[in-house]
Parts: sequence; C-alpha cells; structure tokens
Amino acid sequence: MTVRRFHIVMMVLVILAAVLMPATVAQEPAEIEVWVAFDDYRLDWVNEVAAEFNAMFPQYNVVIAGGRSYETMFAEATVAAEQGEQPAVIHYFEAATQDARDSGLFKPIADALGDRTEVNGLPVDLDDFIGPVAAYYTLDGKFTSMPWNTSSAIWFSNMSYLEAAGIAEPPATWDEVEAACEAIMALDNAPQYCFSWPNHGWFFEQWLAQQDALFVNNGNGRDERATEVAFNSDAGVAILTWLDDMYNKGYLYYSGAQGGDSWATVDQAYQTQQIAMAAYSSSDTTLYTQFGIDGGFTTVASFLPYNDDTGWTGNLIGGGTLWLTDGLDPEVEEGALTFLLYMTNTENAASWHKLTGYIAIRNSANELLESEGWFAENPNQTVAAAQLAQSQVTPATSGALVGGFPAIRTEITGAIDRVLLTDDDPAEVLAEAAEEANIIIEEYNLLNVD
Amino acid sequence: MISPLPLVMIAAAIGAALLGFAFVRSGVRWFLGLGLGAVAGGAGSMLFMIPLDYCTFAAERKPYEAEFGFLLVGIGMAVVLIPVGWISLRLLRGESLMSTASQPTQGTFRHWWIAIPLLAPTITILVLFLYYPSIETVRLSAHLSRLGAKREAFVCTTNYTRLVENSDYLDVVIRTMYISAAIVVLSMVLSLLIATMAYLPIRGASIYRTLLIWPNAISPAVAGLIFLLIFNPLGGIIDHVLGSAFRLGWTNDPKVAPWTIIIASVWKSMGYNILFYIAGLQNVPKDLIEAGAIDGAGLIRRFTHIVLPMLSPITFFLIITNMTYAFFDTYATIDYLTPGGGPLESTNTMMYQVAQLGVFGERADLGKAAAQSIVLFVMVIGMTIVSFRTGGRQVTYGA
Amino acid sequence: MTNTIASARPQARSRWIPKRWYAHISLWIACFFLGVPLFYTLLVSTQTRQEINRYEFTPGSGLAENWDIVFNQRHLQDYMVNSAIMTAAITIGKTILSLLAGLAFVYFRFPGKWLVFGFVLITLMMPTEVLIIALFRFINKLNWDNTYLALIVPFLASATGSFLFRQHFSNIPAELSEAAQLDGANPLQFLFRVLVPMSWNTIGALAVVQCLYAWNMYLWPNMIITDPNLDVVQVGIGTLRAGEGGGIQYGPLMLGAVVASLPPLLVFILLQKQFMSGFTLTRDK
Repeated sequence: MTVRRFHIVMMVLVILAAVLMPATVAQEPAEIEVWVAFDDYRLDWVNEVAAEFNAMFPQYNVVIAGGRSYETMFAEATVAAEQGEQPAVIHYFEAATQDARDSGLFKPIADALGDRTEVNGLPVDLDDFIGPVAAYYTLDGKFTSMPWNTSSAIWFSNMSYLEAAGIAEPPATWDEVEAACEAIMALDNAPQYCFSWPNHGWFFEQWLAQQDALFVNNGNGRDERATEVAFNSDAGVAILTWLDDMYNKGYLYYSGAQGGDSWATVDQAYQTQQIAMAAYSSSDTTLYTQFGIDGGFTTVASFLPYNDDTGWTGNLIGGGTLWLTDGLDPEVEEGALTFLLYMTNTENAASWHKLTGYIAIRNSANELLESEGWFAENPNQTVAAAQLAQSQVTPATSGALVGGFPAIRTEITGAIDRVLLTDDDPAEVLAEAAEEANIIIEEYNLLNVD
Repeated sequence: MISPLPLVMIAAAIGAALLGFAFVRSGVRWFLGLGLGAVAGGAGSMLFMIPLDYCTFAAERKPYEAEFGFLLVGIGMAVVLIPVGWISLRLLRGESLMSTASQPTQGTFRHWWIAIPLLAPTITILVLFLYYPSIETVRLSAHLSRLGAKREAFVCTTNYTRLVENSDYLDVVIRTMYISAAIVVLSMVLSLLIATMAYLPIRGASIYRTLLIWPNAISPAVAGLIFLLIFNPLGGIIDHVLGSAFRLGWTNDPKVAPWTIIIASVWKSMGYNILFYIAGLQNVPKDLIEAGAIDGAGLIRRFTHIVLPMLSPITFFLIITNMTYAFFDTYATIDYLTPGGGPLESTNTMMYQVAQLGVFGERADLGKAAAQSIVLFVMVIGMTIVSFRTGGRQVTYGA
Repeated sequence: MTNTIASARPQARSRWIPKRWYAHISLWIACFFLGVPLFYTLLVSTQTRQEINRYEFTPGSGLAENWDIVFNQRHLQDYMVNSAIMTAAITIGKTILSLLAGLAFVYFRFPGKWLVFGFVLITLMMPTEVLIIALFRFINKLNWDNTYLALIVPFLASATGSFLFRQHFSNIPAELSEAAQLDGANPLQFLFRVLVPMSWNTIGALAVVQCLYAWNMYLWPNMIITDPNLDVVQVGIGTLRAGEGGGIQYGPLMLGAVVASLPPLLVFILLQKQFMSGFTLTRDK
C-alpha cells in the first residue's frame, strides 16, 4: 500500500519535471541582460521601461534580473565575472567604483559612445547630467558609468510626534536631535524609540564627510591610489560616540541588521510609528512621504543632522550607476548603450524621481518637473538635491575611492554594532576596524594592482 | 630554518620504528614493518608539506609556525601510517578486510570487469566532487585568493595563524559549540518526553504522531522565515502576545538572538527525533517494563533504569545526525532569521562564517574561508571517528 | 523495526486505557506548541499588511492580493519548477547509481574490492558543506554554474545509498542470481527484473530521504546559481520579502513559505515509514 503511494508520488514528481521543463526557444532579437540591484517596486519600474524599450526597438530584447541589495549584487557580479557569465549591464553602488575600474571588465561609457551625438536615434547629451553627478562618475577625465539612481542621506521626521513635543522644525544638528528626543520620549504617547538609521557604512561616510574628514588616505584615494584608511580620526570616533550615547539613552533603535539588510527594518519601524525620526536615503522620499499619508501623519524631509562641534561641510552622493561590460558582441553593446540612454532620458529621469525620490539626474528633467509644479507640491523631494547643491566640494565630500570598499564597509558596520551593544571604547573599536580595513586594502592591492 | 631532507629522513625512521614495533608485537616479520613504515612515514610527512613547499620552516617564519609545521607533518604521517599499518597487518595475517562477513561467494557473476562500468559513475562523482575539492580546499587555504581578483598569492599558513592570533575565531568556534549543543540537547530531551507519551497505545495515536512529526518536512529556510514572522523585534507577534515584559529583542539583542535560532531549530528538528524515539520505544520489550512494574519499580526508576539504556543506540544515532543538522543545516535558518549573522555576530556559526567570508560577503576571501573549512573538516572527521569507536558499526549518516 | 510500528496500530485500539488522560493532555500541549507557528503563518498568508499589523487571529482578506504578488508578480511557480527538476533528478539519479554500486559490491568479485568499498565509505566523512568553497570554484571552472548540472551532478553519488543496497542485496538468497544466470540474464536484467522488484521498500526509503534533502537544500543552490531564473524555491522565496511599500512583506512571504513547504510535507506525511526506514535499514543488521 505504501509502496503504491510512493509510486504515485514519484510519478507525479517525474511528470511535473517533464511537463514544466522550460522550453528554450531561440531568441530572434539580440538579448541584452541587465542586472539591477533592486527587488521591489523599483525593479518593477525598470521592467516597465525595458518593456517599452523592447517594443520600440524590436531588434533588441532587454532582460532585467533583480537582486536583493547592492551588496548581494556586488557579490553575485563578482561570482559571475569569475564564471565568465557577466551580463551586458551591471548596476553597482558607489562603493564598487574602484573595484569595477580595477577589474578591467567594463568599458567606459565615453569610449563606447565615441564622439557620436546620437545612438539609434536617441540623443547623446552628457552635459545634461547635473554637476555633482557628472563629476562623481567622471574618472580620469572620462565619463565612466551611466548615472541612474543618485541619492543623498537625509532625515525624515514624523511631525505628529515633533509637534506634540513642541518642536516646530526637524533637528539640524546632533544636539538638536538629542533635545528633540528628550522631548518626544517624555510624551504620554511616546513612540518606542526616538529615531533609527540603517546600520550601513554609507551613513558613517556621510557623517564623516559632513565633518570634512577623509575616509582613506591620498585625498580620499583621488590623488593617488589609497593605501590606508583614515576614518579612525576624531571625526570617526565622534560618530560612534554619538550613536552609542543615543543608544544608551534609549533614543536610538537598532535592529541588529547590517549593510543591505538594514534598510527594511527602518522602513518597518517608521511606517508603524514606533520611531519618530529616521536617517535614511533620499531614495525613498516618496515612500516615506506616503507612509505619513497612509498613517495619518506628516513626513517632513530635512538635511541630515551634523556634529555641532565641527559644523557642516557637505554631504556625499550615493546610489548606483550602470556599468557597461567590455568585450560584448557589437550588436549587444549597441543595444545596451541604447537602453542606457533610453532608461536615463529626460522623461524617465523625471518619472524615476517621482516614483522614488532619487535625484532627477538631468537638468532637463528638473526643468520638466519644475514646469509641472512638482517641486512646489512636493517640498520633501527637493531636499536631497538642495543638500548636494549646498555642499562644498572637498576631497572629503567627493567620497572615497578605494579597492575592497564594500568589504571595508562591513568592518565599519561591525564596529558600530560592537560599540552599541557592548561597553567597548569607541576609539579602540574603530582603531581595530581600521587595522582590519588596512589588511583588506593591502590584500586587495596585492592581488589586483599591477 | 629546517630543510626538507632531514625532516623526511627522521619521519621515515619514526615510521619504521612504529610499524616495526607493531609488526613484532603481532608476530609478523619485523623487517617488512621497517620497510613499509619507512616509506609510509616519509611519504606521510610530505603529504601537507609538498603543497606548502616546506614554507613553515622558512627562516622568516615565526617559531610557532614551525611548530604548526611539525603538527602538520605529524598529522600527515598519522593519516598515511595508520591505514597502511592496519591494512598490511590484516593482509599479512590472512584476515578479511571486510568487517562484515556477508560476502557471498555463490551467485556472483562471471566477468568481474562488468563491475567497472557499474561503479564508474559513483567513483567518478566522488573523485570529482568530494575528493578533488578536499585537496583543493587544502591548497586554497595556503593562498591569498579572492573572488574576482586578478591573481592569487601563496601565503603559507598565514590563513591559519591568523585564526589562532585572532580571538574572534575562537569566539566563533565556542559559539558554534554552544548553539549546537543547545539545539541537540533541547531537541532530544523534549522529543523523548513527548515520545514517551506518543508511543503509548492510546486512541488517536497515529493522528498525534502525524501532528508531532510534520515540522521535519519544513526546510530550515522556511523555519527561519516562520520564526522571523513571530520574533522580529518590531511587530513580531510574540511581543504582542507576551506583552512588553518579554520584549527581549529576539533578533537584535546579542544575548537573545542565538536562542531565537535555537528555538527555531529545535522546533524544526523535534519531529525527526520524536519519530525515531517513538520507534525506539516501541522496540523496548513490553515484558521488560512489566517486569519492572511487578518489582514495584517506580515510573521514573523504570524509565531511567530500563527504558533509557534500551534507547541508547538510537540516542547515539540521533546525537550524530542532530549534530550534523546543528552544524550545517542551521545555515538557512540563520540566513533568513538574522541575515549577516546577527547583532555582535551572535548567530555567526562556523559554517555561516565560511560561506559569508568566502562567497556571500563582500570580502570574497576564498583562502581564509578554505582555512576555516579545514578546521570544520577536522572537527567532522573527529566526530565521525568518535562515533565509529563508541557506536561501533551501528551508525551511518542518512544523507 | 518498521514492522513494529505497523503492528502497534491494531493493538492501540484493543488496549486503550482510559486512565491515560495525562498522555492526551501532554500530547495536546505538544501538538499545540509545534502547530502554532505554522497556524499563524497560514493566517498571515491570507492577511493584508494592515491586518497583520493589528495582530488579527482570523483569516484575513488579503489572500487574493498576496496570491497575485506571489504567482503573478514574483513567479514563485518558476522556482518551484526548478526545485522539482533538481529534486527529481537527484532522487532518481542517486537511486540508480546506488543500485548499480550495490549490484557491483554484492554480485561481483573483483580485485581490490575492499579498497573501492573503503574509498566510497570514507566519503561519509566529507560533507559537501566543508568542501563548499573549493567545490564552488571547481564548478565555476567547469562552466557548470547557472545550470542544472551544478545543482544535480555533485549529489548523485551516495555512500549511504551504495551501502544501503549492498546490505539489502547481500540478504537476498544467492539462489536467485544463480537461477537468473542459468536463464542467461545479464547483470542489468537481473538488477531490474529481479532485484528492483524485491527492493521497493529500500528504494522508497532512500528516495524519500533524498527527496526531502534535495528539496530543502539552500546553501549550495544559493551559492552557485546567480541567474535568478534558475533559483530554487528555498532561495526564491527570499525575493518575496521586498515589495511595494518598503519593509518586509509578511503576507506574500508567508504564502510563499507555505506553498514551498507543501511538496515536502506531502511526501513526508504520506511516506513517513519509508523515511524512517531509510535511516534504520543500515542499522541493526
């Protein structure tokens, strides 16, 4: 009897496998594989754009594959390169810039374009990209990767809590954050915690840049290749000390998640109003504003609070760009290039900004949004661009270029984790992280630098 | 600085002495032992040293690296000498090498060579996907090797010495032991208690049994997701049900997070243990228990003196399979419940660290991950040897 | 051992003792605590985000929406198919290879047999997990990454399986193979016409264990497969976490978890006896 049951189960399995074996149909149009480091509504947007593109250019078939986070995408892309299965276009975050350059696997966009003014009828207008963006991704005088999602770290406040505590404006400095927290946590219906932030290396870098402190030596790796980290300075220690202080006072909520896993936990806390404020990426301005509308409160976006003792110099660009693989079949390269131009054209840059809150990366897109009255209606959406526009350009605020950067970030988030959860001294912990980070750089340079 | 040649000669002499002595004691021609021992000892000493190019003894190395080198030489010698000695002794004494006597001599097919194509697929796969990667792991562990890097660099035993110098790794080992032990003990004790009820011939016994064992079919990954739903620190149902006093920070407090992993893993593995304990209890002869009852032995005494000893073979089998589960299969649970290894790395086990360091994390450091794999490998071999020595031939792995 | 379970059942009715109320109560409690996590998971899989945040303990109104996300937006069925192909191939392939090895070990006498057997047996000490870094590299070098080959082939050989059939065959009377040889049957005919029909229980035992093992594999598929179209379901359900509106989408995620668990639950509950004998056949013989 049980034998018969077993037969049935096995047969079902075999038939299932046979029937559903995906038939590999030969593709007529040139297939262009694009990897995007998103797996949420942002991926859906890319899929829609790809579908439009494929309808417009029947000779190409753009296939989008999503990834869980920048970090997993970076790791998967590394594996894919090892396997020789790199897609035509990869979406990398800013920290991967040096690794991507050193790998020799990518072709600068400028080289692929040559001096053409249009590709497949789509205009090439690199001057249309806004200043900070074009500057950040122009390396050795060459437009290297295609800017797409550009953001900065900003601050979101649930105004219901702030107003109840008698605070009219979101805090602008660390001291103001603390004062606001004191008032908010004294409320009768106080949230569980005052604020949170994703324990992602990017925020440490933002706070470091605000204090005009370098992350790595040699002018943040921009004068010469970086050989050592510089983040274990007073400015770095100040960040850890402040976070630890806020945590020990019960103001700061820390989910325990680090790096790419940390974002969603802050979303959850802010959406359910268990925190009053959050440091976050401007990438989700639309979402955080919507959280307020759905939850019956007002979300106000503001500049990321800075250290009172050092003042504010400026903030970094963050986000991702699209890298074009070198050595592609000419037809595939042409298609990939066309898609990159299409995906970042004026209309798409504007619609992408509206959907997410990433900065509209083209001047023409900003003009379009302005003429629609979008910025007037949505003041939150202007904050990130304003923060970048007001930033002084120094080596510190230009961001670091260093090999093994993603791995160094995990040392930083690990150090913050330790400082918050133990009584260890922030300076010592950061010094240990720096030591480990220096090993990472040394090993990276040993294996990758000719 | 110690050069290879004297080292090999000393190893050969030690091998010759050991095997010669063993042969004399077994009454087999001693000079055969001397010869075999010299060859095996010399070859064994080279087993790890040739891939390492005798680097541990180089002048610029630290003294304890030379000691580590001697340890490797010793392990290599043991790995070669023990099987060579055992096999040659048995052969010379004319004993069968098969431990089980079930070697049918009748009914075998002629043309012995037909066995070659029959065994070829199995042997090929084992060589390619188990034996070769074993050697490759050893080789990688002596290199600085990163995914996507342009080249590799030979670093001798630096990947190992850094494990020793760095107290973080010791923490990982201790944590792995503690999490694994907690999972195995809790899961088995609870399962035994439940099984002592579930094996009784009561109404609905088979329904109870199904309702008790089904979590075994749930994957470790799904177990992680289910417990994420229940225990996540913001909005997890457990905080709502138990109230704010039990708001322990189930996944974000480094003291509590390992226990969340333990609870999820115990929940997932209990079904398996209950299944086997029910079967084991049903094998305890009824008259034995009834005899105990006539003696007037109390319920607990009967259980500890009669039932438990009868269950010891199955308990032993379950300890081994549960240890394997706790060491390796909890990976998926950790990955979904506390991605990245939890706060303060409090759920970062040895297996999790290998995968994160080598492939999933940003470091993509194959060499260091390979060195940690070797540590894990040695522990698995140790566990297997212990299980064979104490449990005899009764136990094999399931997978 | 398996026989005793089967024979315990008729006894159960005849020797039912009402005094055993304490057993019923303890078992109720045990079943409750083991069942509650899944029960709540089932509830959440039908709930909308708002209902989940309100901690409702009744089925919600979000099943249709969750279903749409899981199957129409995230295509969980594709991952299920990948898992099914991998599971079926590993289970069938491993069984066949183990049968062949068992045949060779019992019905042939060849030089160095003990050596070959030892060679197979020693792999019990080599779990794939401790070799995973080198295996990962090797599969990449073979260019097998992102293919079913990488998911299937390394798992086709089994020391346990070979050992299991070797034990089972050596308990089968030698007269059978002598008779088969007199009839002029070749070894393969003997295997499939005589041995296999006598071995369904053992085959079933091995197959059920392997089926669950393969379906629930996570680390290796996650490592070697970078093409999302080839992800297995244990990895693929992870994509359900994110979605419209930030945070973790528990509704679709739990629906996915339930759906991904249905095949192994079905196999295990229907074939639990085979599952256990897969482990116990090698013991006590």
